Amino acid sequence: MSKDAFLSIQNLTKRFGDFFLDIDSLSLESGKVHVIVGENGSGKSTLMKLLSGWFVPDSGKIWLRGEEVAFSSIPHAHKNGILYLNQDVQSFENLTVAENVYFGMLETVGTHRHLVNRWELLAMCSQLFRELGIRIDPRIRLEQLGYAERQLVAAVQGYLSSADLIIFDEPSSAMSEPDRNLLFSIIKELKEKNKAIFYISHRMDEIRQVGDVVSVMSQGRITHTCSSEHLSHENLVMMMSGDQDRHNDRYPKISRHYGKTILEVEDLEVFPILKGVSFSLRKGEVLGITGLMGSGRTLLANCLFGIVQPNKGVIRVDGKEVLFSSPVDAMNQGISLVPEDRVTNGIFAKQDLVGNSTAAALKRFMSSNMLDSFDMETVTQEYVRLMGINPGRNSDTVVNYSGGNQQKVLITRWLMNRSSIYIMDEPTRSIDIASKIDIYNTMNDLVSKGVSVILISSEIDEILGMCDRILVLAKGVIACDLSRNDATKAKILSYATQGQEN
Amino acid sequence: MYAVERKRIIREYLKEHNQAQVQELGKLLNVSEVTVRRDLERLETEGLLTRTHGGAVLNKEDVDDPLLEVIERSGAKEDYDRIASIALRLVSDGDVVMLSNGPVNTRIAAALAKRSGLTVLTNDMSVALRVSVQEHNQVVLLGGELDKSELALFGTMALSNLNKFYVNHLFIEVDGINEDLHVTVNSQGKADLIHGALDVAKETTLICPVENFDRSAFFRLGHIRLFKRVISNHTIRDYYKEKIFQHDIALFTTIEAFEGSE
Repeated sequence: MSKDAFLSIQNLTKRFGDFFLDIDSLSLESGKVHVIVGENGSGKSTLMKLLSGWFVPDSGKIWLRGEEVAFSSIPHAHKNGILYLNQDVQSFENLTVAENVYFGMLETVGTHRHLVNRWELLAMCSQLFRELGIRIDPRIRLEQLGYAERQLVAAVQGYLSSADLIIFDEPSSAMSEPDRNLLFSIIKELKEKNKAIFYISHRMDEIRQVGDVVSVMSQGRITHTCSSEHLSHENLVMMMSGDQDRHNDRYPKISRHYGKTILEVEDLEVFPILKGVSFSLRKGEVLGITGLMGSGRTLLANCLFGIVQPNKGVIRVDGKEVLFSSPVDAMNQGISLVPEDRVTNGIFAKQDLVGNSTAAALKRFMSSNMLDSFDMETVTQEYVRLMGINPGRNSDTVVNYSGGNQQKVLITRWLMNRSSIYIMDEPTRSIDIASKIDIYNTMNDLVSKGVSVILISSEIDEILGMCDRILVLAKGVIACDLSRNDATKAKILSYATQGQEN
Repeated sequence: MYAVERKRIIREYLKEHNQAQVQELGKLLNVSEVTVRRDLERLETEGLLTRTHGGAVLNKEDVDDPLLEVIERSGAKEDYDRIASIALRLVSDGDVVMLSNGPVNTRIAAALAKRSGLTVLTNDMSVALRVSVQEHNQVVLLGGELDKSELALFGTMALSNLNKFYVNHLFIEVDGINEDLHVTVNSQGKADLIHGALDVAKETTLICPVENFDRSAFFRLGHIRLFKRVISNHTIRDYYKEKIFQHDIALFTTIEAFEGSE
């Protein structure tokens, strides 16, 4: 542990039930970016929350600027110059972008006789955004922004902050390439201002772009630390995959004999991301598609469901070439898509449980040109029982449901549509374990009835556990096509990240 | 009307009349004959009926079996059959399967008719009887002392017979799982037999219907980690789904909402 470190940690521990965090030592210097990588649930965010006063450690020591500190609360850590920008971008939906950006310093800027001068605030924010190259209108309310834009606004808050240690927790998870470049230039400027930075990420390609030092976390411990210059691709894959494939046993996988090819994709191109994707899907098969964020997984799903029209390429369903100009065309060919972002693209906020569940199968409820609402309610209740949707009253507002129950409602919607191909894009992301189990078993139910499933996921354990065959998407093409028995975590990571260093 | 509902009505109808014509069912349910035929096909695979020209007859064993009547009274038969259909998917032709005694395993035994070349080991007389009528499967009944209430064989003789076999796939039905994930059974004989079976088996699957969760029977078998897989109903509490997953055990449930492709 170097004496001149801005921050250092020794023997820090924290226990939550079965989870145990134990950090022997870690240090961070001013003007450096320390990247923390690791799987979901490895303890990255927990560690950061211990450093920023969200949780109090069970034992261990933290030194800040050479002095031992113990933070009892978030404001306490904040006063000591620590700012934690967490994953669930915390901001004020009903305030404007400008107000959000300057919220922490409203006393010092743009005020006139204790009143906020909105015009001055706007002018400052516009000026700042111009300097940074951000194209967001500072006048609009935050609730109108997408997740990636909110992440950018949060990064700007970090940029303006007077804190000396800034923690970015998955700041770019939803960002496109240009947005990420903006974020990286913000971080570069922060470095020049001699700030110390922790940067938590899932994306290996980011490590060398932003990081000076990288640490890998696994099961509550830091397993490796090294400078990012000395990091080779093989090294990182090895560090990340750790004791690999240890969780494969917990996935309820039913293998079955597949039938004939039902879907073929040939040389699909979508400018500028997909550069010739080809694969096929058989009846009764669970096909996994994985790849880094931004590899075009969701774009591919959107092409197969008619949301995006490819620039080039052929899609064949049951041997016949098809052209999807809208999702309705795809639905008519027996394809359903359970979308990635259930809040934005899935749940209808203004509709109740019945409206949300039946939306994709309204045809079934038509009787003499009217919707049979009694039938809709009865059938919805039947599915509530079969899927275990909780609380599951017909008049419920689904947006108030837990993530897991929202996802079950969305799946119900598409089950009612009785398709023969189900594309599920990150169906288990940030939902509770019990709902995950229900979704895996629903996939078993689907394949046992001859349906094919395309499972898109960034959780490699899940892909290894549930799929018969695994495609890795990288640099716009299918980098490999692995059978269930051949696939390992290390192989997948290696294909997913190949060429990333260039 | 939905498939689930139709199936329920067809089942009721058959129980009353013992047989049914496609035409009458179509009228009764107000659906096309194609739909009725498809429903009958599914119910046939579930073992409820046998299709005939233009209709179907109720399978006799379903009404005459005293053991099944007990299950039926508890209203759980359909749940048991769902568990059985999952177990069936885990078994391949030619496997050596062992089923311990119990009502769900009896349903699994019936479902095994869809596989061939199996050797089925069991200590349960009704399991043995179920398999004995399956032309392409063999059954080995472990000897031993007969427990008259369970109609199953236990004791040292059963145990020593067991040691002569190598079992691909073992299905153990238990009588209780509690919040600590401790598994329990109703008799010492059963506990001993299960321990013996665990020693000779490759794949081990625990069968436990929902009503046996949150329960402890008198004899302790051990922690759920003794098993690689668990099959149960999807209505078990979220607590158990979470815990079982966290112990790296695959939990198969009877969630079955999909009605089939259009």
